[in-house]
Amino acid sequence: MFRRTAIAATALLAAGALLLSACTGGSTPDPTTTAEADPDASAVIRLVLEPGNLDIRETAGAALDQILVDNIYQGLVSRTPEQDIVPALASDWEISDDALTYTFTLREGVTFHDGQELTPQDVVWSLQTRKDTPEWSDSARLANVASITADGQEITLTLTEPDSSLLWNLTGRAGLILKEGDTVDYQTKANGTGPFQLTSWKQGDSITFERYADYWGDKAKVAEVVFAYIPDNQAALNAALAGEVDAVTGFDANLKEQVEATGDFALVLGASTDKGTLAFNQAPGSPLADKRVRQAIRQAIDHDAFIEAFNSGQTQYGPIPELDPGYEDLSDVAPYDPEAAKALLAEAGVEDLTLTLTIPSFYSTTIPQILVSDLNEVGITLEVNSVDFPTWLNDVYINKDYDLSFVLHTEARDFENWANPDYYFTYDNPEVQDLYAQSLAATDEAEAADLLAQAAKIVSEDAAGDWLYNGASVVAVGTNLTGLPSINVNERLNLAELAKSNG
Amino acid sequence: MIRYTLTRLALLLLGLLVASVLIFLTLRVLPGDIAQLIAGTNSTPEQIAAIRERLGLNQPLPLQYLEWIGGVLRGDLGSSLLTGSSVSAELAQKAQVTVPLGIMSLTIAILFSIPLGVLSAMRRRRAGGTALSVGAQALAAVPVVWAGMMFVVVFAVWLGWLPAQGFPRAGWNDPAAAFRSLLLPALTIGIVEGAMLMRFVRSATMQAVGQDYVRTAAAKGLTRNAALIRHGLPNVGLSVITVLGLQVAGIIVGAVVIEQLFSLPGIGRMLVADVSARDLPKVQGELLVLTGFVLIIGFLVDLVHRMIDPRQREAS
Repeated sequence: MFRRTAIAATALLAAGALLLSACTGGSTPDPTTTAEADPDASAVIRLVLEPGNLDIRETAGAALDQILVDNIYQGLVSRTPEQDIVPALASDWEISDDALTYTFTLREGVTFHDGQELTPQDVVWSLQTRKDTPEWSDSARLANVASITADGQEITLTLTEPDSSLLWNLTGRAGLILKEGDTVDYQTKANGTGPFQLTSWKQGDSITFERYADYWGDKAKVAEVVFAYIPDNQAALNAALAGEVDAVTGFDANLKEQVEATGDFALVLGASTDKGTLAFNQAPGSPLADKRVRQAIRQAIDHDAFIEAFNSGQTQYGPIPELDPGYEDLSDVAPYDPEAAKALLAEAGVEDLTLTLTIPSFYSTTIPQILVSDLNEVGITLEVNSVDFPTWLNDVYINKDYDLSFVLHTEARDFENWANPDYYFTYDNPEVQDLYAQSLAATDEAEAADLLAQAAKIVSEDAAGDWLYNGASVVAVGTNLTGLPSINVNERLNLAELAKSNG
Repeated sequence: MIRYTLTRLALLLLGLLVASVLIFLTLRVLPGDIAQLIAGTNSTPEQIAAIRERLGLNQPLPLQYLEWIGGVLRGDLGSSLLTGSSVSAELAQKAQVTVPLGIMSLTIAILFSIPLGVLSAMRRRRAGGTALSVGAQALAAVPVVWAGMMFVVVFAVWLGWLPAQGFPRAGWNDPAAAFRSLLLPALTIGIVEGAMLMRFVRSATMQAVGQDYVRTAAAKGLTRNAALIRHGLPNVGLSVITVLGLQVAGIIVGAVVIEQLFSLPGIGRMLVADVSARDLPKVQGELLVLTGFVLIIGFLVDLVHRMIDPRQREAS
């Protein structure tokens, strides 16, 4: 038995290593320094998007999750960059056979950064308050939870029906544990249980964390981390070359040669769940209500052109990216074929079609350029309406007033939006909704993933939307750094293992 | 003079009141609101409604306006919906970048526009004067962003003398680095604004050259240039002071653009970020302060102008 497990584990590790090396294209730097990690080091990491405030309870946006979850705030469980679910504040958990009862064993001796102790009651209060407070993010993800109780260090969640996504949801906002009755100013400060504590936030510039000395687990390997917010990639490159930052996340793979020129940095590409999503407004009355028109648009787009332009990422022909359960290669559903696209448009009786693309202005202009030219090839005139993000939210997300929309959806495991007819995707297919519900109710992980894959295939075959690319996490890592995650760093940047040497 | 000052002051206050209404209303025309942004792209309508309620966005607009302006009259400019920090504290913090930037820009503008403007007027029939004039025309027409990019290419990329962007994290604790990082931005704004000022100085000087008092002074035996400098320049100075009020407004607008380009953590960049966050109470407080500043400069310019221009003094 042990041997079989060992073989399986070895195979898994080997596969993982292969996957990693495939992702990084062999560019992972060999540590060039043999210098030891400096426990007093301060590491400066460039990030792109600064959060508007730090209120992890209600302010949405990957900018908060990226730095605050795992590093500052923790849940009972967490996820690895490879998207596996691992213990955090709970040392262990058990799921009943009917998948209706989840029992977590809470660690002892955990303290918050202000010195207060973590009690089982804090866990019950955090989850219950999350569930009962509609303005808190992801509160709906706990809708299935009927009761949350504590008995000693045992925390028990009882569900009304099985929910295969519950554990995953608990690794995110829905599962974060706060101190009951905490008086911390959540908007500008933080008080969690993670390996780092917040020391300062200079708005418009940087956020600084320091090692939390009384952390319950392995202590952070650097004394301080500074997140420097530099929106522009060229500016970030200059900062890197000037030695002002130790790592550049959200980088442009086209700047690989420049950043690697001095030998102080190596460009690392990791997989991500960033989905460049082209949404079609298919509400009745729209020219896109006709599936043939949507399929024509998908086949008119040369998806490889995006990968070439960014010099990173991969194509994605369905709603689920490779990192998520339920992924399968759907490239044969919508192969690049302008002639087929023209034929489909002719069959649909569409001539001289003019459509508007609503796109938030912070995305690369390469995206609309490729779309305009590809669609022009098949006789569709695309007008580009570049707007600021709040306008996009209002016009597209809330009012669904658009033809085509582009947004990069970064969140992992967000297939639910294709099963929600009220979402801005305007996609309403009862079969997909039913498969998704079955997947949630499944008690077996493989079965849940298989049902998701079936649903995703239908979404792609319906041309419910298009996925221009599956972005990569592009990070220029200082050769004196180790332990910086390279997968999905726009979503989560767990720095527990980060170390810096003086070499 | 007192009556004049009081009239000007009344106009200033009226201007501020009108500005406050305009600022408040135009911001409400922007699509989208902060509750939608806080809730994000996986939100439910209930979530957005609950946040909107908590932030008081559902109150009628006249009430919101009165609450705001009431606070302003009590000296409270308002606070951010996102961070709760007060507008005055935020402005004071970001002013550490923007105020030095503005002063440096204005100094550069004045230092190069006045001598060159006078020179180009005095040599207007020679090639040098014409070249200066054409150069100023061209520079004044250049968008600040473009000028900034050109300066970056030359001074930061080619010559490597000055940083291309950013402000030292240590701020003014590292005065040399802070000064260096503001130099290119200030040069950009200063030259574009200065080119406009130079055209003004030039035409004012040329006007002075043709005046009777200059001719009379020349007839008394002064050289033409000496006559111009002694009797003409005070009049040129008057016109320059008049446009200086406009220049200050131009520099503020320039700072908004330039702080983006050079990623300087100043008032301009904060303003743009707050608009994209739809943090309207904060934006309206910031805009009111900036508008007030420009109006007060205009008011002071009017007073100074009147005090030093004997013709206007006598007229009252």
